Amino acid sequence: MSAVTEHIGPGPAGIDSAGATDERRESIWGKALYKFSRDRSGMLGLGVVLVYFVIALGVWFGIWGMEWSDVEGPKWGSMSREHWFGSNIIGQDIFQRSIYSTKTAFEIGLVVAVLSTIIGALLGALAGFFSGTWIDSIILWLKGVLDSIPFYLFVAAVAFALQGNPWAMHVAMVSTFWTTTGRLVRGEVIKLRNFEFVEAARAIGVPQLTIIFRHIIPNTFHILLVQATIVFVAAIKSEVILSFLGLGVQDGVSWGLMISESTLEVLAGFFNNFIAASAFLFVLVMAFNMFSDSLQDALDPKKVAES
Amino acid sequence: MDVLQYAIRKLIGGIPLILGVSFVSFLLMVYFGPDQTFELLGKNPTVEEIAEVRRQLGYDRPFLMRYGEYLQEIVTLDFGLSNSTGEPVSAMLARTIPISLALVTPGFILGNLLGVLLALIAAYHRGGWIDKTIMGFSVVGMSVSFLIVIIAFQILLSSSFGLNLFPVRGWNVHSLQDYVMYVTVPTLASVFVALGYNTRFYRAVLVEEMTRDHVRTARAFGIQPGKLLYKHILKNSAIPIITRIMFSIPLVVVSGSLLIESYFGIPGVGKITFDAITTGDQPVLKAVVGLTAVLFVITLLATDILYRAVDPRVSLK
Repeated sequence: MSAVTEHIGPGPAGIDSAGATDERRESIWGKALYKFSRDRSGMLGLGVVLVYFVIALGVWFGIWGMEWSDVEGPKWGSMSREHWFGSNIIGQDIFQRSIYSTKTAFEIGLVVAVLSTIIGALLGALAGFFSGTWIDSIILWLKGVLDSIPFYLFVAAVAFALQGNPWAMHVAMVSTFWTTTGRLVRGEVIKLRNFEFVEAARAIGVPQLTIIFRHIIPNTFHILLVQATIVFVAAIKSEVILSFLGLGVQDGVSWGLMISESTLEVLAGFFNNFIAASAFLFVLVMAFNMFSDSLQDALDPKKVAES
Repeated sequence: MDVLQYAIRKLIGGIPLILGVSFVSFLLMVYFGPDQTFELLGKNPTVEEIAEVRRQLGYDRPFLMRYGEYLQEIVTLDFGLSNSTGEPVSAMLARTIPISLALVTPGFILGNLLGVLLALIAAYHRGGWIDKTIMGFSVVGMSVSFLIVIIAFQILLSSSFGLNLFPVRGWNVHSLQDYVMYVTVPTLASVFVALGYNTRFYRAVLVEEMTRDHVRTARAFGIQPGKLLYKHILKNSAIPIITRIMFSIPLVVVSGSLLIESYFGIPGVGKITFDAITTGDQPVLKAVVGLTAVLFVITLLATDILYRAVDPRVSLK
């Protein structure tokens, strides 16, 4: 899956020492917070993402964007006071639809990012901790298999296997997007398991699973956080293409559905749907990319050392 | 002889991957895929007719037997006739694969070539305004959806609202001139999108090489920028660059062209595979998925041999 092939420098392990000392900036998170708060493009990106998040929450609680499916405007109406961005082919308000789609995008992004990060962390940590054993081989094999099936064909197959279930798209994305996270976590865990704190835990008889969950996975959180933001962006971008192919959002509305609706309209000279949905999507993805980049800069210990 | 021995060992090592890919896709696309029984029957079929069609389609046999037959088909490369058109699958592939290749090759080459070039420029001027401008454009390229780029290029270049230079959609190629007409807009769109990701990735690789000691030494000796970039930086970063290019080949051939093909209505291999999934045309699906898995293993092998070619320290073991 090429959408999630970001390169993250394999920095030395950032061992969290928070709590051991009251100097907050000694820990990787304290340093990262300090560094991130001074990164202007990252803060701008975060700000824009938060604005979108508030819009999505508003839709969620029913404050705005509720008239997205009402048919009341003219066919292909232009911008007016009632319909800020005009109205679509059957007279639905494009502004309301764009606002409502923000919720759809966050739903997809959050569900896919959280689940694939959890799966990636678990399988990556298992593979790394037991690297060289059959557990590792099976997980690597599974990853290789999932990476070798063309993504859109895989989604189409899952959609038909689940017989039009609206969650088919999410299932397909989660089952392919965890692999990059898994690979990065595996690499980190292979390094981590040779550290003294793991050896110490083992020496006093802590069970292996407890070591993985209590001592190892928490030390990969900086990778997981960055990967989650990358997967979020990949998920909402994939939604657009999947919705165009008829495999995406089944009920409700999304930017992808609006853009695929517009593919026939633009040749007839009606651009409102296309421009509104593209602009909403572009600004969110751009802001998220900026946020993600700065987060990566702030959390990569190697880069901290360089600057 | 070494290379040949290595290749054979590597191909045998790729068998679990082929088995895995074919098993997962068989399970999803064929076993749980759409049921064609009633599409092939007339109205009010009798129980015997239903049973007869199901037997022809192979639905009545146990799962493992059907999977075993599929593996046999991969080995013999004989996938039978398409359920939808009755055409031999091999003929369909022979017709559509060249179209897909002709469609994606220019964009793929340009996207990588320009990506490396821009990345070299950006890395050389690291931290300066040239670097910042290039990387700014690359983030923009990463943030625009492929579909939006396609539509935007279509409006600009092939509609009456723009320059109206190229055909809107389709693939009616009989001469080189036709080819250029139909391939330009899809190529521009895919180069635009690929440049965003490629430039970023290649720049990160090149910058890492650029901070090495041997580069500083070469600079201290007053080497020319062109020679430094080519001989000391580009050649030493060949391995990650080759890896990225090689691994994107199988996906670009099958899946990368799907969006372009279905948007522009071009009858390539991505399009027939997608149609096969939606209609449940199992022979076509089996062929494409099986061949993709084989292509993957061959790519893995070719990548390793290429590593050896660019870096003599890599040993084929």
